[in-house]
Amino acid sequence: MAALIMGAAPLFLPYSSLAASCCGGGSAASLSVPKYATAVADLFFDTELYDGYWNPNGKHVADPPGSDLKQYRLNAGVGYRFARDWQTSVSLPHVWNDNSYSGVSSQTSGLGDTTVSLMFEVLDDNSAWKVRDIGDMTPGVSLGLSLLVPTGISPYDNQQSSFDITGRGFYRLDGTLLVEKAIRPWSASLALGYGTYLERSINREYGKYVEPYKKDLGDRFTASLSTGYTFVLGTGGDSITATASYAYLNEADTSYNGKRDSGSGFDKQSLGGAISYTNNDNNWSMRAGWNHAIKQNGWGQNFPTTDVISLGVRYVFL
Amino acid sequence: MYSCKIFVVLLSLVFSAGCGDNLFPSGNDKRPSVLAGSSGGDVNQKAPDFSLPDINGSTVTLASSIAGKKGAVFYFTMWCPICDSHMSSIRSSVAPSFPDMNFFLVDYVSGSVAGASSAASANGYAGGVFTTLADTNHTLTNTFQGTMGTTVVIDSTGIIRMNEDYRDGTNLRSTLAALP
Repeated sequence: MAALIMGAAPLFLPYSSLAASCCGGGSAASLSVPKYATAVADLFFDTELYDGYWNPNGKHVADPPGSDLKQYRLNAGVGYRFARDWQTSVSLPHVWNDNSYSGVSSQTSGLGDTTVSLMFEVLDDNSAWKVRDIGDMTPGVSLGLSLLVPTGISPYDNQQSSFDITGRGFYRLDGTLLVEKAIRPWSASLALGYGTYLERSINREYGKYVEPYKKDLGDRFTASLSTGYTFVLGTGGDSITATASYAYLNEADTSYNGKRDSGSGFDKQSLGGAISYTNNDNNWSMRAGWNHAIKQNGWGQNFPTTDVISLGVRYVFL
Repeated sequence: MYSCKIFVVLLSLVFSAGCGDNLFPSGNDKRPSVLAGSSGGDVNQKAPDFSLPDINGSTVTLASSIAGKKGAVFYFTMWCPICDSHMSSIRSSVAPSFPDMNFFLVDYVSGSVAGASSAASANGYAGGVFTTLADTNHTLTNTFQGTMGTTVVIDSTGIIRMNEDYRDGTNLRSTLAALP
C-alpha cells in the first residue's frame, strides 16, 4: 500500500534556488502529501558542492585556486492533509556553511529560510495502472501557494561576513502548478512556479548600520520537467523508482528604492537524477538524488555552479 | 491529529527561532555618530594607514592609494558571481566617469599575491582600471569590516566617504560626484 501511495506523489518537487553561501540560500523544497494519506514527515540531508560560477555574460569561471566551498542542509518537514484535496506543509532547514580558500576559512551554521505551503489538488490521476480510454489520460493537477519566511541569517542581521549567511532575508510568495501523470511503470511531471518577493526596508549590511533604503529582489520563475520509471521488486510490492529531471530557474533584477538594477538577475539550468526505494511492509521510503548544474558557458548567468547530493527518508501517516 | 500537532509545533518553532530583523525589518536610521577627527573604518572617520602588496609586486599604502587623485575606491571581492557583476559594473560604467580616482580590488580570500594574481587573471580583472590588492593579513578587511561587495571610498585627505555594499552603484556614483 505504501508503495502505491508513494507512487502517486512526485519523488521530488523541483529544487528551489538552492544555496550559495555567497548568495544566501538554505530554503527547502515544499512537501507533498500523497493522496489518501493523512500526513508525511520528511527528513533529508543535502550537500551542495560549489564549483565556479557563471558570470554576467554566461561564461563559466572557476573558483579561486585552493578554494573548497560547501554548504550542508538538514531539512525537516511535515505535510498535513486537512481535507480531501487540500494539504499544507512546513519545511525548515538547518544550514552549515563550510568555506575554505587559501587565505581564509570559515565554518558557520544556523537556521535557514522556512517554507510554508498550501496545496489544492484540482485533478487526480486515478488511472496509473491501466489506460482504457482517453479519459484515463487525465493527469493529476495541483495548485500551490507557498510563503518563504526569512528565518535564516541574512546580510541584514548582525553578521559581519557573507560566509555566515543562511538565508536571503526576504519574504517570498510563490504560486505553483504541478502536473503529473503515471502510466505504470512510467511517470512524468511538470512543475511551474512563479514567486514574488516582498520589498523590505534595510538599515544594516553585514553588521554595519547604513542609511535606510528599500530593496526588492526580482520575481522568480522556476520550471522542472521530470520522468521516472518504477521497478517492482519481487512480489511483495517493494519498488525502486528512478527519476531524471531538468530544471530551469530565473530571477529578475533586484530593485533599490524602486529603481531596477539592470543585470543583477540570474538564471540557472540543471539536470537531476534520483532513486527512491519504497518498502511495502511499512510506510517508510528512502531516496537519494543528485542535481548537477551544467558547468559550461551559456547554461546560467550570475550564479554559482553546484552539485547537490541529497539523501532523504520519509514516513507516511495513513 | 498527532501529525497536526507536530505541524503546529514546527510552525511555532520557526517563528520563535527566527524572530529577528528579517521577520520584522526596520527602516530606522541607526547609524552611530562618529567623533570628529577620530580614526577608524566608519564613514567620516580618518582611514588608518595601511600597507599591503598588489599583484604587480608593488606596495600600496593609504598615502599612495590617493596620491595625485581625488581619492580611491576599494571593492572587496571573493571572486563570486555577485562580485563579478559589481566589478563589471564599476569597470564599465563607474570608472570611465571618474578618471581622477584610483580603483582597487581587495582580494581577502586568496591568501597570497600569487593566488590573488591568479584569481584576478582567471576572472578577467588583471590590469585595466583596477589594481588588485592581496589582503593576505586581512588588514583592510578588518579595518573596514569588509566582506563580499563592501565598497569603501576614501577622499584625498584620507577621510572615509562611503563604506557599504555596492548594491546598484548609485551611492558610489553620488559619493564620487560629491568629492571635492
